[in-house]
Amino acid sequence: MNANAKPLLVIGGGIGGMTAAVDAAEIGYKVILVEKEAYLGGRVMRMHRYFPKMCPPTCGFEINTRRIKQNPRITVHTMATVEEITDEAGDLRAKIRIRPKYVTDMHLIADSMTEKLTTERVNDFNYGMDKTKALYMPHDMAYPPGYVLDREALSETDAEKLNEICPPGAIDLEMTEKRIAVDIGAVIIATGWRPYDATKLDYLGFGQCQNVITNVMMERLAAMGGPTAGEIVRPSDGKKAENIAFVQCAGSRDENHLPYCSAVCCMGSLKQVRYIREKNENAKITVFYIDVRTIGREEKFYYDLLEDENVSFIKGKVAKISEEPGSENLVLDVEDTITRENLHKGFDMVVLATGMVPNTPDFKIPFELKYDDYGFTDGVTNFDGVYTVGCAKRPCDVSRTTKDSTAATLKAIQCLNRGE
Amino acid sequence: MQDKPNISAEDSPKTTFVLSKNGRPLLIEPDLDFIRMLGKHTPGIYKKCMQCGTCSATCELSPDPEPFPRKEMAWASWGMKDLLLGDPDVWLCHQCNDCSAKCPRDVKPGDVMAGIRQAGVIRWSFPSFLGKWASEPQSVIFLLAIPTLLLILALYLKDPIANVLGIIEPTGERIIYPYSSMFPHWLLISFFMFFSILASASGIIGAIRFWKAMKTTFPRKNPASAKSLFSSIIVTLKKIIFHDDFSKCTESAPRLWSHMLVLFGFAGLSLVTFWIITIRINPFIQGDFIYPFSFWSPWKILANLGGAAVLAGILLMIMDRYKGKESAHTGKYFDWLLLGTILIVVITGYITEVLHYVRLDPHRHLAYFTHLVFVLGLILYLPYSKLAHIFYRTTALIYDEYTGRNVEISTVVNANLTVNSDGEDSPRQEEETASEQGNATTQNGS
Repeated sequence: MNANAKPLLVIGGGIGGMTAAVDAAEIGYKVILVEKEAYLGGRVMRMHRYFPKMCPPTCGFEINTRRIKQNPRITVHTMATVEEITDEAGDLRAKIRIRPKYVTDMHLIADSMTEKLTTERVNDFNYGMDKTKALYMPHDMAYPPGYVLDREALSETDAEKLNEICPPGAIDLEMTEKRIAVDIGAVIIATGWRPYDATKLDYLGFGQCQNVITNVMMERLAAMGGPTAGEIVRPSDGKKAENIAFVQCAGSRDENHLPYCSAVCCMGSLKQVRYIREKNENAKITVFYIDVRTIGREEKFYYDLLEDENVSFIKGKVAKISEEPGSENLVLDVEDTITRENLHKGFDMVVLATGMVPNTPDFKIPFELKYDDYGFTDGVTNFDGVYTVGCAKRPCDVSRTTKDSTAATLKAIQCLNRGE
Repeated sequence: MQDKPNISAEDSPKTTFVLSKNGRPLLIEPDLDFIRMLGKHTPGIYKKCMQCGTCSATCELSPDPEPFPRKEMAWASWGMKDLLLGDPDVWLCHQCNDCSAKCPRDVKPGDVMAGIRQAGVIRWSFPSFLGKWASEPQSVIFLLAIPTLLLILALYLKDPIANVLGIIEPTGERIIYPYSSMFPHWLLISFFMFFSILASASGIIGAIRFWKAMKTTFPRKNPASAKSLFSSIIVTLKKIIFHDDFSKCTESAPRLWSHMLVLFGFAGLSLVTFWIITIRINPFIQGDFIYPFSFWSPWKILANLGGAAVLAGILLMIMDRYKGKESAHTGKYFDWLLLGTILIVVITGYITEVLHYVRLDPHRHLAYFTHLVFVLGLILYLPYSKLAHIFYRTTALIYDEYTGRNVEISTVVNANLTVNSDGEDSPRQEEETASEQGNATTQNGS
């Protein structure tokens, strides 16, 4: 290997980016890992369980963070974005912008201190289902560990209070953003995905009917660290949801929204059906689908659920969700295409299996890169050494993303070695 | 899709499907010409339909049991022409395009349904070559020539006939400016009456053929909700007059108003026409009849209002199609032919009226003649143009009530369903949906 190889820049600190960083660093290459949030782990950290093994993502995450922590060749920049990548005759250079955290990490901050603050912020980690104080820990297992201050949410009175409640020097409100420039040898784009904006699906009532939630929100409801500490309850009244519908292809496979199949929502919903069944043995669940796309060995995951008499599957795309007059219960209009009947079925709560959209459109990596119509990219650009992994490339699950990352890392290493 | 054949009135290769004992089709031979013909009605490829059922669930008019148009989309993909042409549901659709707007594949089921209806008009109308002519642009010259020649012939023969029959046009002081100098009143009435009766008879023949086809193709009957034929007719007429179905559409709400204006406009015009036809026997106008009516005569006012309503309605319809809204139908020849004819009828009618009031000779005769040509066209092609929906949709709506379709779930698969439009019975059966799914996949894949 080339001892003088330039570092590998990994954009995105989710499961794809972390895997690539660890893979490259453990072979001996320097890695700069850039993450726009305050913590590593990305979307996967917000999942309750993985399919099909139903194990929590936290254990894998714990191993990965330890490998990152122990490896001196990895530099992690959180709250950071890549501003520019320039190519000067094959010499790649990246400019990274690091937003201020306002927390110095020199002194310990505890929950008892933050409780004294009055200003709160919407907790985006839990998809807005609860709030945190303006000085907050992103989540229980956040890495890099430590509190983050939401300066914009913080009121002036609280800002003055901060110096009294926290140890002196723990908070630095004067902190400014930093810009650094680094020489790099190759780039791995692991910018990932976000859920499709369900408010655009007006016919499915999201945003209008309180008890219509999305699949990512369901992950947080099921998680111990979520807004309900793992209780799957209706947002409108906090009652246990007993009769739940899953609406597949909420936005996906739809020319008016996402023309592509988001690839993971079928397995995602089946996984969530199991959450509910594990937590509430009386719960009745109906899954409305166009096709259940469980491929390969995942098919068994679906077949096993078919035997559960509390779970029914109805083939038909839901055309409309509305509230029953005078209550927060929901009515779904759908054609059962097997029995050829228009149904108007009532439920306590509805989970929309919203699709995946790439983060690229509002997180454009600042160099010429070819995107498809939906914002996915294969990393094709006018210079060598750019590779895309995971959901920046196309919708896919975790296992495919990590395989992508390992493969891309090998390609990137070949590129890093070329200068030799 | 370059060389799509034209819609053919002849029976194209028969749709055949062999059924096994459990009712599942073993073999379907799709009518490819029919598939290609329907393809011309939609901007995209309607076979992209993935049978998700959004259309049926969205449709406000679709009944709960066996809703449309999802099942029709499957049959259309398979080219099951006979099944579709005998399907009353195709006519229950008022093309408000709620389904097309929501369709996740953008295959516009509303347009496909319109295409099936057009094929139905061609198939059931008598004589069906006229139905074919009314649906293809290259035959427009024939469509125009027939009423023109008929009117010229009538004008040429009016004097000999009048001499033979000894008809003398009434003249008198009251008739201040005779309209009938070109087209005598007796000729006008008998000529148009004759063709109206002819067209209506032809339309009724078509409707009866369609009724028979529906009965053999979809013989379901729900005794709990079925009505007698008489009350079915009454309920249907009420529905039509009050525009119950149109008012349920959400996507193109203006359609309710435009259709109302045109329908009631024509109703007003017809009323005036019949009033005049009865001139000789009508005790209310005999004696002081002045023809044409003065501008302030209540009948003239009604006629002018009727014409204005039709004009407003037709302009609304044209606007609706021009709005460029993706959901609205793209505007097919069949559709435009009717809109254009009605528009010309109204405009030439008003021009004639104005020219008459200003005493402009001979222009008024030219305008009048043009007006009559298009009015005759409208009447002649009543059973063949899009206007044939008067017969077919009404028939389907009556059948709907008669069989009790709307009320209760009747998913029972009929075991001995015979489908054949020509009356030859061949053993067929409504296929089960389970196999429908499987076949849809193979069909789309082929």
